[in-house]
Amino acid sequence: MGLVAGKKLFSIMALCAMIGLLLLPIAVSLPTLAMGADAPDAVKKDGEAKVEKGRDVYYKTEGIVAGAPAPKTVDGPRDYPRYNFESRVLLWFANQQHLYYGSFVLAVPIFCMVIEFMGVVTKDKAMAKRYDQLAYDFIKISLTAYSLTAILGGILIFTFLTLYPAFFGYLSSIFRPVMHIYALMFVAESGTLYIYYYGWDKMREGFLKWIHLSMSVILNVIGTLLMFLANSWIGFMMSPAGVDEQGRYLGNIWHVIHTALWNPLNVHRILGNMAFGGGVVAAYAAYKFLASKTDEDRAHYDWMGYIAMALGVAFLIPLPFAGYWLMREVYAYRQQMGITLMGGLLAWLFIIQATMIGILFLSTNYYLWQALGRMRGAEKYQRYIKYLVFVLCCGYLVFITPHTIVMTPAELKAMGGQQHPVLGNYGVMSAKNGGINVIITTTILSFVWYMRGNKVSTVSWSKFGNIFMGCFFGCAYVNIVGLAVLGYYIPANVRVGLSVPQVATTLSCLFFMFALNSFMMKGAKQMGPIEWGKISARSQYALIMLATAFTWMMGLMGYIRSSVRLFWHVNEIMRDNSPWAYTHTVGFAANMISFNVLFFWISILFVFWLGSLGIKKAPVEAKAGVPGGAAQPAGSH
Amino acid sequence: MKALMSVAALIGAVGILLLAGMIVDIIPSNTVRLVEGYMPMQVLFELTLFVAGFTGLSYMLGSMGMAVPRFWQGILFWSFILLYLKYRVYPPIPFSVRAMYGTVSLIAVFMWVSANEEDWKKFKQPIMNILDAQTGANKLLRYAYLVLLPILIGGFSYNAMVPKSEEPIELRTVHPAPPASTKVHGKTYTLQTSQNPYRVNLEGKFDQEYSNANIVEQGMGRLMKPNANPWDKDAQGYLKYVREGGEIFFQNCHFCHGDNLNGRGLHAFAFNPIPANFTDPGTIAQLQETFIFWRVSKGGIGLPNEGFPWASVMPPWEQHLTVDEIWKVILFEYWHTGYYPRTWD
Repeated sequence: MGLVAGKKLFSIMALCAMIGLLLLPIAVSLPTLAMGADAPDAVKKDGEAKVEKGRDVYYKTEGIVAGAPAPKTVDGPRDYPRYNFESRVLLWFANQQHLYYGSFVLAVPIFCMVIEFMGVVTKDKAMAKRYDQLAYDFIKISLTAYSLTAILGGILIFTFLTLYPAFFGYLSSIFRPVMHIYALMFVAESGTLYIYYYGWDKMREGFLKWIHLSMSVILNVIGTLLMFLANSWIGFMMSPAGVDEQGRYLGNIWHVIHTALWNPLNVHRILGNMAFGGGVVAAYAAYKFLASKTDEDRAHYDWMGYIAMALGVAFLIPLPFAGYWLMREVYAYRQQMGITLMGGLLAWLFIIQATMIGILFLSTNYYLWQALGRMRGAEKYQRYIKYLVFVLCCGYLVFITPHTIVMTPAELKAMGGQQHPVLGNYGVMSAKNGGINVIITTTILSFVWYMRGNKVSTVSWSKFGNIFMGCFFGCAYVNIVGLAVLGYYIPANVRVGLSVPQVATTLSCLFFMFALNSFMMKGAKQMGPIEWGKISARSQYALIMLATAFTWMMGLMGYIRSSVRLFWHVNEIMRDNSPWAYTHTVGFAANMISFNVLFFWISILFVFWLGSLGIKKAPVEAKAGVPGGAAQPAGSH
Repeated sequence: MKALMSVAALIGAVGILLLAGMIVDIIPSNTVRLVEGYMPMQVLFELTLFVAGFTGLSYMLGSMGMAVPRFWQGILFWSFILLYLKYRVYPPIPFSVRAMYGTVSLIAVFMWVSANEEDWKKFKQPIMNILDAQTGANKLLRYAYLVLLPILIGGFSYNAMVPKSEEPIELRTVHPAPPASTKVHGKTYTLQTSQNPYRVNLEGKFDQEYSNANIVEQGMGRLMKPNANPWDKDAQGYLKYVREGGEIFFQNCHFCHGDNLNGRGLHAFAFNPIPANFTDPGTIAQLQETFIFWRVSKGGIGLPNEGFPWASVMPPWEQHLTVDEIWKVILFEYWHTGYYPRTWD
């Protein structure tokens, strides 16, 4: 009894410590923020003559100048010291690796939270144990990755300080009021993570488990705030605010943080991190599946891969919509920036991006179709897969059609001009919105098939339900394609708005059809169990492809986002006068992204290997819940 | 079911014959015409019909005991898509796009034939038969492949590496990013916020909605709306300025951009690329009026670095037209094509 009370006390103390850690940076920041805001007043008190006002380049509000102008750099050892290598490429590498690991360690705790919660609410004890073990395995992997993230962060800062001192000095002078908050958030994140991880066994049951779960919530809140702060820097570099035309800080740190692109970047990155994290864990499971020697291991890793894939895809589905919002805000912020991205210099990179997005969805669908193979009774759906392939690929073909076509002058002449009557129509946003929504809706349909693969509905209205579902999906396709066609006949501002009903249609399919399917499958007749582990090796390669595509796409999008500033360190405020202020060729960028991807995967394999050393030492009972052929992961779908 | 499949099979057979006829030039390529404006949906519709047709053909042949092996189904379907893209769609699709489409089709075929274990086994069977080489014929084939495949790969490599006299591929930027502002006739215009001063209603006030309501209608051809005829002598406001813009267009621009604004004017084919086709949804329909204002004013010579390879001979019209004339001609271009300029509100 005393032991239980002691554990409770420990847990509550741990939770309080975490809340304290969370509040610490905020408490520290209050006087800092206040100081930031009051500083100009202090200047004012010293004498009116010293007060100089400036106009915010974005908010257009007046503020009292509280900082130095952005330095006008010159190419030389003072502003751009260098090794005998392109400094930008070194920074690119350091930044990208830090971002990969940062995304991974921010995403995995969210997974842990979800999986741990599933374990807590699942009534099936065996399943609950399996979920708990899975969440624990995830956080263990993330712990090693967390150290690497911090190391890479250090390398990144040193790279900045060594190679771009003037630029980094300016950026840190602007963000001075929140720089230490960021550092303290890191302390809070680390402390919370360690308490969460090392307290796992002590808080395994009952009320203590709920406290443990609450800790994961706090951990994720801190992680998300950390990311928001980091995003504010890149938001400022792309769409500066809170400074005047000379780049002088005007005393309002909120304006500096809350730039035009900050919110869309935040949303896009949260979803992106989650999808990426899911992909990495799914690839880990796929690798372990392919290397497994026993049926038991195969079953476990098959299940793990499925859960990670499902979580990743759950965040992948809204990701294109978040991306669309971000691009819309970019266009609204600066037309030329939007055109450089979508129709100009970087347009081909966007086509590559569309190709990668398509690969993500194709891989997901392919995995689900393969997964039907481990269910008895799913044959009735398999014969229709060819039609899904066709619809999916039609959407994909439209989605990847370039607006700027690569062609020889002879082809250009044969085509009779730059514009093609078919490709020209597929190459614009209206068609692409239709294409991606068709792809996502088809993915949802594949999920619905998967969820009912080995089941036969026993509800009295099942026939009606099936017809309704068929009609709903049919109408969704008609609506999506119809709106895409309508987009050519209406003003651009209305056309942009059409994405809302298209997205609403897709999301309606997601929520209504999933809900309806769940109702229909309640108490359904099972044709046979899901035979975990009895899935084709091709499915696992699809998972690896999914993860690689995620990684490559993240690298690509990071490059696009960064290079859209062209020759600016801070857009229209601080010019990049280094010899590398030009845009790389598409080929060079692609090679560099591939190198970053390769390096990340080699290093993460090392992290996995370290994780596996720990697993080998774990007691045998830790594997007690590993799924074999008998147990049904009822909550998994 | 059988009747349905028979119809589908008939469609498939007719489609294949038509395409084959077009490839060997027995049947004119415009026998079943692709209608401009409807082509994008027509192509997708045709492909859907073909898929239905092939399903029917496969079903019928199977029921007659002449089923085509899955391996050959996959190969034939992929070949069909490649031929369709090359010979059916006109004007010809550049190789880079056909390569993308061909790759996606190949992936699609792979996904189809390997969607389940049974199909995958069927698909692999001929390959496995050759590799196992249990019969004399298969042994012979295996040796043939052993010789032919390296020759084929060598041929591709040689073809890729051999120096060619063709002009190199150009990654032309269709819409280079505009500057934040442009100076024309001594006045600076901010591209993000400037507006066409002639987009006005009958009271002379700027009115986007009013002008949008009076552009020509798109459909089978472009038709003027009732009571929206700029050439009516009583036309006022927006329509009057459209008429004036039209006069400027036909005095200066139509020689290259064509009287239908489709980039096929009298002199158009002296240039490569031919002038921009304003009726295409990828040109002015995607842009703000201020972008057009900047391009018309500065011409090809004013293209920024991003506009590489600067393949435009359009004169800088600021040297020939007033600011008002430029705005009016832009007004006319949007009116005539039935497109709306991009706006953000």
